[in-house]
Amino acid sequence: MRVSLFITCYNDTLFPETGRAVVKLLERLGVELEFHPRQTCCGQMHANTGFRAEAFSQAKRFVRLYQDTETVVIPSSSCVAMIRDQYPGLFAELGNEELRKQFAALLPRVFELSEFLVDRLKVEDVGAYFPHRVTYHASCHGVRALHLGDRPWKLMNKVRGMEQVPLANLDRCCGFGGTFSVKNAEVSSAMLAVKLQDIVATGAEFCTALDNSCLMHLGGAMHRQYAGMKTIHLAEILASTETSPAEGVA
Amino acid sequence: MSQGVYHPVLDPAKARPFPEAVLPVLRNPQLRKNVAHAIDVIQAKRGKLVVEKTDWQALRTAGAAIRTHALENLGAYLTQFEERCTAAGGVVHWAADAAEARQIILNLLREENASEVIKIKTMTSAEIQLNPFLEAAGVRTYETDLAEIILQLGEDEPSHIVVPALHVNRAQVREIFARRMGLKDLSDDPRELTNAARNYLRRKFLDIPTAISGANFLVAETGSVVVVESEGNGRMCLTLPRTMITLAGIEKVLPRFQDLEVMLQVLARSATGERMNPYTSIWTGVTPGDGPQKFHVVLLDNGRSSILAKKTERQTLKCIRCAACMNACPVYRQTGGHAYGSVYPGPIGAILTPQLMQMHHAQTLPFASSLCGACYEVCPVKINIPEVLLELRSQVVNQERREAGRLFDPMYLGLRIANLIFSRAWIFHTAQFFGRIGLGVFTRKDGWIHSLPSVGGKWTQTRDLRGLPKQTFHGWWAARAAKPSGEAK
Amino acid sequence: MSAPSKSRENILERVRAATKTVALPPAELAAAFASIPRDYIRRGGMTVTACHERFIERLREYDAEVVETTEEELPATIAAQLAGSGKHTFVAPAGLPAAWQAEGFEWKLDGGLSAAEIEKAEGVVTAAFCGVADSGTIVLHHSATEGRRVITLLPDWHLCVVYASQVVETLPEYFDRCGQTPGLATYISGPSATADIEMTRIKGVHGPRFLHVVLVRDSGQ
Repeated sequence: MRVSLFITCYNDTLFPETGRAVVKLLERLGVELEFHPRQTCCGQMHANTGFRAEAFSQAKRFVRLYQDTETVVIPSSSCVAMIRDQYPGLFAELGNEELRKQFAALLPRVFELSEFLVDRLKVEDVGAYFPHRVTYHASCHGVRALHLGDRPWKLMNKVRGMEQVPLANLDRCCGFGGTFSVKNAEVSSAMLAVKLQDIVATGAEFCTALDNSCLMHLGGAMHRQYAGMKTIHLAEILASTETSPAEGVA
Repeated sequence: MSQGVYHPVLDPAKARPFPEAVLPVLRNPQLRKNVAHAIDVIQAKRGKLVVEKTDWQALRTAGAAIRTHALENLGAYLTQFEERCTAAGGVVHWAADAAEARQIILNLLREENASEVIKIKTMTSAEIQLNPFLEAAGVRTYETDLAEIILQLGEDEPSHIVVPALHVNRAQVREIFARRMGLKDLSDDPRELTNAARNYLRRKFLDIPTAISGANFLVAETGSVVVVESEGNGRMCLTLPRTMITLAGIEKVLPRFQDLEVMLQVLARSATGERMNPYTSIWTGVTPGDGPQKFHVVLLDNGRSSILAKKTERQTLKCIRCAACMNACPVYRQTGGHAYGSVYPGPIGAILTPQLMQMHHAQTLPFASSLCGACYEVCPVKINIPEVLLELRSQVVNQERREAGRLFDPMYLGLRIANLIFSRAWIFHTAQFFGRIGLGVFTRKDGWIHSLPSVGGKWTQTRDLRGLPKQTFHGWWAARAAKPSGEAK
Repeated sequence: MSAPSKSRENILERVRAATKTVALPPAELAAAFASIPRDYIRRGGMTVTACHERFIERLREYDAEVVETTEEELPATIAAQLAGSGKHTFVAPAGLPAAWQAEGFEWKLDGGLSAAEIEKAEGVVTAAFCGVADSGTIVLHHSATEGRRVITLLPDWHLCVVYASQVVETLPEYFDRCGQTPGLATYISGPSATADIEMTRIKGVHGPRFLHVVLVRDSGQ
């Protein structure tokens, strides 16, 4: 199966290790990967901040780049949610009929990583080994926009050596919200403080999620507060094996 | 942030921007504890009842469809309501804005020679700032809902549309009641406090012959009005006086009586986590021998018809004021309601208030959300609040970006530059290169950024940021592809 | 009649203009209304016994007292309840069956009693239109046996007689039973209550603090 990886702008810049883990994981599962060199951003930041025209130009760019692709995999729930929930409105408002058709044809072939593994590849045991205590943060977009449901747990339950610790108030927002975190920095920080209390209370070594944007927010606070925990994208856990552990994890 | 009595401003035209208004609240541990406690209790109760209701999603679907149908045909249903209510002995008045509604109500009170009036909790009357207007005109208003009494006697403002005094705890209620009712020996036992309110109001219910209510629903088919409540203060006001004045937004109409079988199943469960609220009252015009013999309905537009005209925003008017969205909102849980500067706080307030202000005020409210989607998930009539938030954000940006002062606003400048960056891969990659060099100045030896200037400082005031890695993902991919085998690590 | 005003025409004009692309012509309105999806539960699937038990359970959950009786035993049951209440003066709606007005108590028959007179009574006895098991709700349509609204409001103690045949499982079943829509209706789910102070549920604010339900089984049951 040929899959084109849309890594997303912030993963490309800030979290390349997540991208490397996705490559390692999918290639181990026999997927043939492509990477479109001209990819940039899905437009989520602009759309969510009210810059609709700019978001539209990025949405258009995404569709043009990927329209001939067999399958697109994106290791970021919020970017997939942007494409699924906001592109239709943008194209209806600003686009033309041809673009709308191209997008409608492409959309069923766009997958979030856990969707791709569980629904498309139909695999739950990806052969991972991660001997650590881990708690999972269900990101808002994963839960309420993509309705990922139990897919993350189907995957996590098969990771050997991993101890899962349930997180209280599982689906409560961490307070990131893109530019919300700077436009309403104080409220965002108050939400973050509450979330972090629940996460720290698990006593886990790692907090994982399917979205590095939440993890950037949580990880930034953990680092600031010497919380003694780290964040790690679930792709990195799933890519980890006995012989080739996750990057930066002893 | 002065200590002492905190007087929230709930006039959207005068309120401070949301990011400023939250500051005293976020630093008030008592208030945050009170709000979080109340919200957590309601949320837990609601959660249990929704699980128990196996047809919950079907009820939501029907509720949404009924409200949409009513709004799309509002003209027909409003005139039907007017006709049926009038036939049953009611008098229907129409108010284009708050000022007209206030004047109509005052005129009706003057016809009755009323110097006092008892009121059932109505957020619509708070929206038009009715009480201060009537007081200034010499009519004393007595709120009769327990929470509203707490606020009225405490000279406070509502912070929630269903439980308006949830930011006040029992010790604070005790202090207010002891001071204003002259009950020095009052304890802070909620039972005793509730009893004090009962005694305080009992004579007023029996003696004051004029009452004002809101409406949960207007039924077009029958011309009936529906009021949903818990304490019985509503029934008192609806039954004992000679004259009843109901103030209702024009959007409150349901097509038929039977639609209540959906609305009443979702409303209390969503609002208070009860299967049904203790009392629901339905009346139609005037009934000889039973209840007020004069009945007036004031139908209020006040910006609603302009919301109705817009395709995405129209759904805002589906709202049945259950407050489930604010109870589910992680922002509201931290801030409570006053910071929204409106009688309608929380997610629904963040979309309703700026629209009622014709997008001239409350422009920061659409941004007062992390877009987590919890509000949409719980809404019993499926208002896609995040969708409307995004629409309003775009309207605010379209207004603001033309203002000269925004040219060098870091947020606007940053987003315009970001758009250029994302327009071509080579610009994106160049920006990543220079970004790493630029941020390198701020990156400490541990590889993390602890402090940034300008907008970045808003991030680093409470979080660190990992410094940019030496190699981007696409750089790694290109290097890996250039090698004969896949060993690029 | 409506108060004449320019605002009426202006508002309706604005509403019609706002909805002109979506509003239906009058002739199509009923059909569009009929096509609203109503996939929620209309008729419950419980047995009659289970439905009655659910009704009792839900009433009790919201602090109502419930006793069961039969038609033959009803007057005696009412008398026992009244005696147990420790109260003496009761209001009776105009059409309350004479057999329900137990001897040994003072009865005020409502034929337009003043609020002050009703206020002096300690309790009230009424019939009901319907009972809804799903939410533990008593429905009053304020007929002659159910009484004017005020009589079930001012007295602190309300005894309501509900026949088993009047109990439905779901709220939609009640609406199906309505036939002609009532001009006046009150739905009572437990006694008056508030949770306005720290979400602590307090029974009895302004309405009756005590709600007693007598469920009358059919003789065959």
